[in-house]
Amino acid sequence: FPPNFQPIPCKPLFFDIAFNHVEFPSLEDKVEQKKAAGGGLTGFVKGWLWGGKK
Amino acid sequence: MAQVEVNLSALFTELNKHGQNGDYDRAIKVTNKILKAAPGDKKAFHCKVICLIQQSDFRQALKVLQDNSNLSSELTFEKAYCQYRLNAVRDALSTIRDTINPDIKLKELEGQVLYRLEEYEDCLDVYRDVIKNTSDDYEEERHTNLSAVTAALQIWGDKNVDDY
Repeated sequence: FPPNFQPIPCKPLFFDIAFNHVEFPSLEDKVEQKKAAGGGLTGFVKGWLWGGKK
Repeated sequence: MAQVEVNLSALFTELNKHGQNGDYDRAIKVTNKILKAAPGDKKAFHCKVICLIQQSDFRQALKVLQDNSNLSSELTFEKAYCQYRLNAVRDALSTIRDTINPDIKLKELEGQVLYRLEEYEDCLDVYRDVIKNTSDDYEEERHTNLSAVTAALQIWGDKNVDDY
């Protein structure tokens, strides 16, 4: 006594990479509705202006 | 009806913003609003689960997944991840193995689950496959994990593993 020290393997580093995949799904289609409506209106106004120029 | 449509897309825009900022506290409140107006919205539900996981509330995340089977059928990765973090590693493995055509996220998680289960040989196969089929910012971390598996096999598996 005291007992001799003995070597033991250390715990290797191990990453939780899967956590990086925990992210929001693409909300493009959900948000886009608004943009599309805006584009539609701009397109309508543009078309109307073009029409007026003719 | 049109009113509701407009409100929803505004809410989704807000949700998207909070998600990008990592403000999951605010984001989850928005998901609750959306789900109140549109209880069957799978994307809002998905975001809610992600928020709970990001807040490390794995118990609650797993609960809402199990309570809403109609919305959660495609969220096997999220379910398995919660089980993994709650140390229900066997359950996590069955969730992953019950999935038809598991995607790369699930395979990545499968590797981690097998490591936790000390099934190093299967784990090594999974890691070789995942490393071959991914190209993102986590290559180094993946190789670190691969080294850990290789070391474990050498020490406890009584098996020589080739360097590569």
